[in-house]
Amino acid sequence: MANAKTLPTMAVAEEPVINYPSPLKEFWLGFSHNKGAVAGLAFICLIVICALFAPWLAPYSPIEQFRDHLLTPPSWAQGGSSAFLLGTDEVGRDILSRLIHGARLSLLIGLSSVVMSLVPGILMGLLAAFFPRWIGQGIMRLMDIMMALPSLLLAVAIMAILGPGLINAMIAIAVVSLPAYVRLTRASAMTELNKDYVTASRVAGAGLFRLMLITVLPNCMAPLIVHATMSFSSAILEIAALGFLGMGVQPPTPEWGTMLASARDYIESAWWVVTLPGLTILLSVLAINLMGDGLRDALDPKLKRAA
Amino acid sequence: MFSFLLRRIGVLIPTFLGITLLTFTLIRLIPGDPIEVMVGERSLSPTLHAAAMKRLGLDQPIATQYMNYLGQLLHGNLGTSLKTQENVWVEFKTLFPATLELALAALAFATIVGLLAGIIAAIKRGSIFDHGVMTISLTGFSMPIFWWGLILIMLFSVLLGWTPVSGRLDLAFDVQPQTGFMLIDAWRAELADPSLNAGAFKDAVKHLILPAIVLGTIPLAVIARMTRSSMLEVLREDYVRTARAKGLSPARVIFVHTLRNALIPVLTVIGLQVGTLMGGAVLTETIFSWPGIGKWLIDAIGRRDYPVVQNGILLVASLVILTNFIVDILYGIANPRIRHAK
Repeated sequence: MANAKTLPTMAVAEEPVINYPSPLKEFWLGFSHNKGAVAGLAFICLIVICALFAPWLAPYSPIEQFRDHLLTPPSWAQGGSSAFLLGTDEVGRDILSRLIHGARLSLLIGLSSVVMSLVPGILMGLLAAFFPRWIGQGIMRLMDIMMALPSLLLAVAIMAILGPGLINAMIAIAVVSLPAYVRLTRASAMTELNKDYVTASRVAGAGLFRLMLITVLPNCMAPLIVHATMSFSSAILEIAALGFLGMGVQPPTPEWGTMLASARDYIESAWWVVTLPGLTILLSVLAINLMGDGLRDALDPKLKRAA
Repeated sequence: MFSFLLRRIGVLIPTFLGITLLTFTLIRLIPGDPIEVMVGERSLSPTLHAAAMKRLGLDQPIATQYMNYLGQLLHGNLGTSLKTQENVWVEFKTLFPATLELALAALAFATIVGLLAGIIAAIKRGSIFDHGVMTISLTGFSMPIFWWGLILIMLFSVLLGWTPVSGRLDLAFDVQPQTGFMLIDAWRAELADPSLNAGAFKDAVKHLILPAIVLGTIPLAVIARMTRSSMLEVLREDYVRTARAKGLSPARVIFVHTLRNALIPVLTVIGLQVGTLMGGAVLTETIFSWPGIGKWLIDAIGRRDYPVVQNGILLVASLVILTNFIVDILYGIANPRIRHAK
């Protein structure tokens, strides 16, 4: 460590003119170059604010039923009321309030399922890279099997066993997104393992865990972060799909997909009940994907052309 | 080529065994007593309970149970549905053509539109068209397709009245299922009895259009993006410059020299869409009340029909594995570098 501390000062002493931007600033320069990514980030910030301050931002409770105002159209439409900005649903609940509170659930489920698949995914991927023979083969075959099932079908199958509910939906989505993390970590760790700095660290006597987590892992993070963003967006889509099929979060909890489950009955009479929750899902997922593109450009220039 | 084939089959068999292990474990992971879960609210007398356990082989050691399950599978016995008492394989066989028809229509839509959009976007790189294609395809990629289905129904069926809301064919027509593909059956019925079934084919097409568009949306986005980037990659190659320099027409350079090489990765991506299509079929069939295996599985889960869930999933997974295997082989034929790689 002593060496590492003295080196930069020496470099600065020799070439005092060059001011490298801090890593964070360099990242931001790369990221903000992509206009779509910035727009995506802005929208995500909006959603996060909605989620954090939902009880204060939402005009009503998401489960309060206004029995006198069933299926009120949005305020700008004919017959709308300014009391319900985006209208009410079939039992008179304020749609805007439900959407704002729904942001909490979608973000919560997305975030926890990403963490729940990222951590075991990284560990299994590292194990598979460090022990390619038995453990590695075993892990990769298992992942192949999981990849053979269409992800929504696997999630549905898991929900069929566990039963519907919030926690179970998180688990199902985490399990479904596991294989991609394992494969990604293993692939990048295996490329890193052949490099000199890993050999040097090994020769210097670094233990297995130090090699895995401190030497190799940080250098595999860029594609993992990019993939985590993308799988965050597909987690939101999957939880909404499960909710739509009636297997996800159960009503009256305001989840965006669950809000659409009964919407089919109102196709002819109340367009706002059908349109608004789906539009919210689409915009959030789109925003996250745009942000993911920007992250990829900023973090991993090698991948830029592959897109 | 032969050893390549053998290697692939060598991977195929353990994967298939793994899937059977998965579907086998599935039913045993259900918390609580499987028999009680299956009969639902009604309670069973202990003797009936024991008889049911014996009938399903649940009273034997777990390894024996698995071997029995494999044995049954090898005999082609996929169990019977608890609801209809019908053989699971027979049910699958009758419903599968509906899903296949829908998936093929979706794939055709996605491939034709996706390839064209991707090619034009790559040729006119940086143009408004290019930006438009990229924006639309990212939107398509982010689309909750169950909502997309509802929106299209609202627009084209309810508002404009162009297409029917659900099902495969209007009840007014008398079409006997022969191939299971409604387009072909309706066509034949129309030829056989023009007075009764006039317009049956057109009606079948109308029923198919919206579900196919909905199911094809995500593959379309993926194919368009992949075609564009693959074309851009190939357009940079030296041999394309050579072809241009020696004075070939732009159309020849694009279609003969570039497209053929750019298509190889696109073909793999198209093959990989089979999984997406099968997953998407679950949602699309639910929205459009399309009587295929996606809706069948969801209904089975809803009424806890575990033999159907278990072996239906096994069948779908086998289908995906098999398609990926075929794509792999085709890819090996198309690209010798893959065939000879370790």
